Amino acid sequence: MITDNARLQPATSTLSGRRFLRAYSLALMLVVVTALFTAIQPAFIQPENVIGILYQVSLIGTMAVSSTFVIITGGIDLSVGPVVALAGLAAVFSLRDNGQVLVPALFAGLLTGLICGVLNGIAVAAFRLPAIVVTLATVSIYRGAALLIGGSVLHQVRGPESFLYIGSGRVAGFIPFPIFIFVGMTLVMYFLQTRTRFGLTVFATGENAEAARLCGLPVARTRLLVYLISGIGAAIGGIVLSSQVSTGAATYGNGIELDVIAAIVLGGTSLRGGSGSVLHTVIGALLIGEINNGLSMLNVSIEQQLIAKGLIIVLAIAFSDRLSRWADK
Amino acid sequence: MLRAIRKSFGSTNLGLVWLYLVIILFFWIVSPDFRKPGTLGNILSGYSHIAIVAVGMTFPLLLGGIDLSVGSMMGMVAMVIFDAVLLFRLPGWTAILIALLTGALAGLINASLINRLKIQPFIATLATLVAYRGVTYAISGRQINPELTVVAIKDSMVQALDGSIMFRTADRALWQIPYAFLYLVVIVVVTMVLLRKTKLGIDFYAVGGNQTAARLAGISISRTTLVGYAMSGLCTAIAALILTSRMRSTQEGLGQSLELSAIAAAIIGGVSLNGGVGSTFGAALGAFMIGTLSTGLTLIGVTGYAPQVVIGIILLIAVGYDRLLAGRRVRKWLRRQYGQQFAHQLANVDEIAPQGASND
Amino acid sequence: MTSFSNNVVLKARGLSKQYGTVQALDNVDLDLCGGEVQALVGSNGAGKSTLVKILTGAVVPDRGNLTLNGKVFAGGDTKAALDAGLACIYQESQLVPALPVIDNIVLGRHPTNRLGFLNRKAQRETVVALLSRHNLQLDLDIPVQALPPVQQKEVEIAKALSLNARVILMDEPTASLSHAEVEKLFRSIRGLREQGVAILYISHVLDEIFSIADRVTVIRDGRVHLSTPIAEITKKTLVDTMLGHQLATEVTATHQHARSSQQVALECRGLSKSGYFEDIDLCVHNGEIVCITGLVGAKRSELVRALFGAEPAERGEILVYGHPVKIRNPLDAIRLGIGFVPEDRRQDGLFMGLPISANTVMAYLAKVTHLGMLSQRLMRVIGKKQIEDLDIVPPRLDLSPRALSGGNQQKALLGRWLAGDARILILDEPTVGIDVGTKANIYSLLRKLASAGRAILLVSSDMEEVMTIADRVIVMAQGRITGTFEGAQLSQEMILRAASGEVSQ
Repeated sequence: MITDNARLQPATSTLSGRRFLRAYSLALMLVVVTALFTAIQPAFIQPENVIGILYQVSLIGTMAVSSTFVIITGGIDLSVGPVVALAGLAAVFSLRDNGQVLVPALFAGLLTGLICGVLNGIAVAAFRLPAIVVTLATVSIYRGAALLIGGSVLHQVRGPESFLYIGSGRVAGFIPFPIFIFVGMTLVMYFLQTRTRFGLTVFATGENAEAARLCGLPVARTRLLVYLISGIGAAIGGIVLSSQVSTGAATYGNGIELDVIAAIVLGGTSLRGGSGSVLHTVIGALLIGEINNGLSMLNVSIEQQLIAKGLIIVLAIAFSDRLSRWADK
Repeated sequence: MLRAIRKSFGSTNLGLVWLYLVIILFFWIVSPDFRKPGTLGNILSGYSHIAIVAVGMTFPLLLGGIDLSVGSMMGMVAMVIFDAVLLFRLPGWTAILIALLTGALAGLINASLINRLKIQPFIATLATLVAYRGVTYAISGRQINPELTVVAIKDSMVQALDGSIMFRTADRALWQIPYAFLYLVVIVVVTMVLLRKTKLGIDFYAVGGNQTAARLAGISISRTTLVGYAMSGLCTAIAALILTSRMRSTQEGLGQSLELSAIAAAIIGGVSLNGGVGSTFGAALGAFMIGTLSTGLTLIGVTGYAPQVVIGIILLIAVGYDRLLAGRRVRKWLRRQYGQQFAHQLANVDEIAPQGASND
Repeated sequence: MTSFSNNVVLKARGLSKQYGTVQALDNVDLDLCGGEVQALVGSNGAGKSTLVKILTGAVVPDRGNLTLNGKVFAGGDTKAALDAGLACIYQESQLVPALPVIDNIVLGRHPTNRLGFLNRKAQRETVVALLSRHNLQLDLDIPVQALPPVQQKEVEIAKALSLNARVILMDEPTASLSHAEVEKLFRSIRGLREQGVAILYISHVLDEIFSIADRVTVIRDGRVHLSTPIAEITKKTLVDTMLGHQLATEVTATHQHARSSQQVALECRGLSKSGYFEDIDLCVHNGEIVCITGLVGAKRSELVRALFGAEPAERGEILVYGHPVKIRNPLDAIRLGIGFVPEDRRQDGLFMGLPISANTVMAYLAKVTHLGMLSQRLMRVIGKKQIEDLDIVPPRLDLSPRALSGGNQQKALLGRWLAGDARILILDEPTVGIDVGTKANIYSLLRKLASAGRAILLVSSDMEEVMTIADRVIVMAQGRITGTFEGAQLSQEMILRAASGEVSQ
């Protein structure tokens, strides 16, 4: 695919061995990790466990693929955590106040995400404020808003069935519904990435915004849209989460942005922008899910899990980051 | 004399000081509670430790990097103190020493990840954010020995860390200046001298301003990185000491989200995310601006979680204002020197201010 | 000119370096003598930058040795090179923008007292003495980012001088300098020469080389092909040696175009932007190549960027094919059939991380969109056509522009606009940093495009280029047009006069 950086090769290079590694290092790592865990605990690749992994990964994965474009434009969205809470609250409140009807609830949740995303986008695109600071600020603002609206209590919902199905339903008896949402979102984002002008513009903006402007590309609008999409992705995550636990709370999603960014970064998308792929993010999310799951299976304590996660992120990034710097030279 | 003062503040945006004074004035007029002596004590004791962390954070930021692990480092150091005193029954001064060493060591590990493994600071410290939190849990004395949960640290030396100077003014009002603030003042003075008056300090600005040029000029990037992140760790350790002393105990989750406050404080204080611009005085000032706003808003009745929202908005405004100012600052200078025409040459002064998430 | 063979300051023997399968340097010998300016010329990719990197210690050679002031130099240590007295002034600024001039000059070598504290007094004394010794005038306390490029170059020179350098390497030092400023630079260089400094002067501009150098060395394909005193060689021989073959010199077109019959493609009247340019009237006909030239600071780039909508003008009219139009942003210009190749092809032009196929279609994405979706096939088709038409080497769609030489990068950039069939082309300093062979290539391309009916507006500081290619020359000084010349009136002297402000006709 044209935007797959892995295919680029300098003319005068004998990188072929390394190039192969870089393009497939991720997939390789996935295989290695899977093999490792399976060797230690054969139950790891049982269908039941695999489904469990995918289930856990669906939430982070959906948000990560939605936020990948933001990173590709060289920005970042730290505010996805509070948006999860806000969207969940919006959906739950809508159910409570509108007599348990599904569609308005979905609408409310998605609209929340859209607004949050647009606010981020305007600050970054129109006012040219640095993304990291903007979303740092909106973390506070959105979290504060969530707490103002929802207080510190849990808001429960008992129905309708259709709403609860989003988070806890199982297709064909055993495939959790959130996986379909994850897959669906991935397909949509992948389509945008490879088959639309918008996708190419995202890469152009991240790679060289000034050159993109001089090509007549709508740089500001593109920037705005990527944050919008990120907001919607977080909102979907919020709806799924609230459905899963049939509760809305202002404290949900705390810290999830780190997992989301870790998934994107593990997937090989560079924080500098201009390169990356939604598919890589999927692998990154899978990796994180596998690691979490595998470590739990081995009864590794929470603290050791955290240490291990940190170590793995470092190693994975060191490997792929080094390769990308080498190729950049 | 004004010029001399200006010069010594170097990279600090003096407009910020002005703004801060305006804020104080605003609350002074509007809220009678604000004028009470207790308020100053509250702000100082509530935010001095954050200011100290922000001062430490300035160093990685000046280098064009970032330290996301300060929150986890704080939790880890606090737990180290807890274990040292309650689990291993070490004397106070030993615990304090070990705490400082731990902080510095954690910072050095961060620096090594960046220097040796060539990982971007954002990712490296993201990873240590996770890892150090894990270590905190792993070494938690409270888990090893659950009764300790209700035991308080009684070591006199540790306790003494978080005292205050108290005095009465003529109208019998009681004023409190916490020791933490005094530590901060010393730290700010020392770091400002370091940054403005030593070669190492200039090297920081050079590496952050143009890393290639610095390297070609023979400046050791790895050494400045080591010092910078060690400073961050050290300052975080000091803050951890203050809090542990205050609470007489600690929790595994201590320091969560601290990094965001510290970064916000530094940015509001004029430290640029791209590196090469800013001062530790500014970072400390930024922390107190947040503190004063927070306290002031609560006192005038803006309750609950709204202050958090306001702070976020202030952060946005501060960044926008600073970029505006940065552009104006240079243009004003140019106009003075070269006349109207030249000032426009720097139309794209965006280069001075942060542009994206990229931290290199 | 006395013989300098017994005053060799830097001696390099047998330097070789291989990157993968490419032999960047092959058994290169080099002697730099004190008090001599040696020019180093060669096409892009000939090995010049590798040689510089080895000399400065940034890269370790595979074979060969280097002696500096009699001491053998192991290489790989940039600090050692600096200490040994070898300074390099790179093409890209090696200054810290926010720091003042005085700190940049002594960067990395600030005088300190015993405790590591800065000795500001000693620093200022040293720098002031240095500047007066070399007759440089710089405001020491202003941050360098506030200086114009010329003065920034002077700061870099002062920086090299403060090293007490015995050897100074200069890589394309006149890249952004005007004629007068180049003269100023040469005066400094001659001063350095008198003090016995050995200077290696790397440049594409042959006129300059014949003006300043005592000796010239030609590198091609990583090998030294020629090293001779400048007095013993002609420009033609030099160029031939650089290219390795007899260059067909007839690139210059016959200027006598009957253009009055052609339509006016692009025209502006009274175009103004306060602080930049004032009251500009110009026009470009179909089939014409118009060059805008002048000194640095004449605001030519600003003018053409305004014509393209990159930074629009404040007052005045723009007409395309006779119709008044509003160009408020690049998209407006593109829609009107205007294309723009910016001055800095890396910063503003190419997408280094994307393949050529993406680079060529980026300005006309509508052309590769089919049923709302991006068509890879169409992208490939268009990309291929540009590669073939423009003779881009290596002819591969999936490569990133990094793999191309400067000249080919420029062609790829041009291809972007030809892909969308732009009828009006604006180019800003299109051949800066490009070797002679590709320059000729681009000139004939432009001539071909013009003959096919396109209107071409070109900003250039290269007098030779202007004389070679322009049908008409517009000269600007300080934001105003000071002269328009064509045909028989075209003379370097007239142009230079106009450029320094003398208004004619």
